[in-house]
Amino acid sequence: MKRSISASRRRGDRIGYALLAPSLFGVVIFLLTPIVVVTWLSFQKWDLVAPLKFVGLSNWLAVLGDPTFIDSLMTTVLFVVLVIPAQTALGLFAAVLLSRRLPGSGVFRVIYVIPWVSAPLALGIVWRWIFQPTGGMLNVLLGSHVPWLTLPSLALPAVSIVSIWSQTGYVTLFFMAGLAVIPEQLVEAARIDGAGSTRIFWSIKLPLLRPTLFFVLVTTVISAFQVFDTIYSLTQGGPQNATDIIAYRIYEKAFTGFDLGQAAVTALILFLILVAITVGQQLYFRRRITYDLS
Amino acid sequence: MTLVEQTPDTRSAIGAMDRKGRATSRGWGTLATYAILLGGALITLGPFALSIITSFKTPQQFSTESPLSLPAPFTMQNYAGLFSGELVDFGHSIIVTAGYVLVVLVGQLTFSILAAFAFARLRFPGRDVLFWLYLSTLMIPAVVTVVPLYLMLTEAGLRNTFWGIVLPYMFGSPYAIFLLREYFRGIPEEIVDAARIDGAGTWRILTRIMVPLSRPIIVTLTIITIVTHWNNFLWPLIITGSPSLSVITVATASMQSQYNGNWTIVMAATTLAMAPLIIIFLIFNRQIVNSIAITSFR
Repeated sequence: MKRSISASRRRGDRIGYALLAPSLFGVVIFLLTPIVVVTWLSFQKWDLVAPLKFVGLSNWLAVLGDPTFIDSLMTTVLFVVLVIPAQTALGLFAAVLLSRRLPGSGVFRVIYVIPWVSAPLALGIVWRWIFQPTGGMLNVLLGSHVPWLTLPSLALPAVSIVSIWSQTGYVTLFFMAGLAVIPEQLVEAARIDGAGSTRIFWSIKLPLLRPTLFFVLVTTVISAFQVFDTIYSLTQGGPQNATDIIAYRIYEKAFTGFDLGQAAVTALILFLILVAITVGQQLYFRRRITYDLS
Repeated sequence: MTLVEQTPDTRSAIGAMDRKGRATSRGWGTLATYAILLGGALITLGPFALSIITSFKTPQQFSTESPLSLPAPFTMQNYAGLFSGELVDFGHSIIVTAGYVLVVLVGQLTFSILAAFAFARLRFPGRDVLFWLYLSTLMIPAVVTVVPLYLMLTEAGLRNTFWGIVLPYMFGSPYAIFLLREYFRGIPEEIVDAARIDGAGTWRILTRIMVPLSRPIIVTLTIITIVTHWNNFLWPLIITGSPSLSVITVATASMQSQYNGNWTIVMAATTLAMAPLIIIFLIFNRQIVNSIAITSFR
């Protein structure tokens, strides 16, 4: 009797491992091994052609001592700072308006999500045309000839606008879902106590949206740090490195500069930054009071 | 946490009734809401509309008239150019992209479902440690793995091959496994026990009970996977070099650099790259919108 139980348990174990095998292979080979390889590569010199050569810390020293790398980091942070608050606020605002559930709201909701399903690369190319100094839609509307994408001071804001434009609808969806689960009684109670819509929003809805806000901030900040397609199609990092965001720099170092070692260092630094952000956001939001009404 | 499905129609009807009785300030508020929502919709749709109308214009009309003018004469020559095969062959790119999306979709869903079931319903040594290992990989960004993956797949002789594009994605995704596991755990134990008493084995329980009951999350993951990989650009750009393996985003990017300034044909390319997903989205918008929102609560 005892033997048959342990035999069937072993059989159960085998089924478990068998079901996990393919995905475990994927996780180990295509997610974990690359982290090991990129670390190893950061100590090598490789130009895609000549054999790899161990160079110790020289890639790290070269990247960290390169002022354009620091500039690229600052550009990335500036991009995140331009994009995240704007798209979060706009998304929240749109969600509040759509949550009034006026007739036709559903149509607007669908329209706002369309950029999310569209290839960022293709959208970037469309916007590149919109920003053209002559014949571009924006300048035609403004009656001007502003070189949006080739003037260093305007290029990053222009790229940010495209990013905000394409992300806001997606953010709106999450806030709408968050607003939908706020208990109606709470809002009604506040209204009976004489609170106006503005007061209800700031004192009741916004604090209750904290979990949604956390989710939205974590996912959008992390994806903003990795934006590539939009940069590739709009500015290719230019003009004068004004939009040389870190993810684009990794690509450029590796596949146009043929310095895979330095690209690996840059990638690892980005990875460390993203891990720090994730952990930091987690700690920050944990510390604050949470309202659990479930 | 569950999302209560309220039918918008009944709610807005009730809303309309009690609005009638209230002060007109409410009416102004409604008007302002519509004005803002409409403004947002115009800004959102504008670039798509521009891309479409420009794609049907002749280069002559494009260079002489306002970007807002409607196509006159209406021409298909830009689209014909995309399929001519001179520099890029979009017909071929669409086939390559569809094949890539299909292989990734089938592989990812199958292997993710298997793994999620093991994590949710089976007991075996090391299960929880492995689950945390999977979860920790959610923090690894694509941009970071691109350079080492390029090295690995080149060494394996898979650079510039179809399998080079799909392999890194087809063995399941930790995100999908995480969402599916949560969903599987929500399926009542009694249903599974009842099936087991009736003599159903693990495989039957998975295919006849878990998968059919998890349709909403599987639909969600299907959509997320199709959108992500149809639009994927960085990895296919790096791992393929020959035009015969260009996915649609890569083909569109090369159009833009080869036909620089020739915006009518470039806009035909961008329209074609975006149209299939937009059409799918418009057909299934209710499921898609609801399912995206659900993922944030799990």
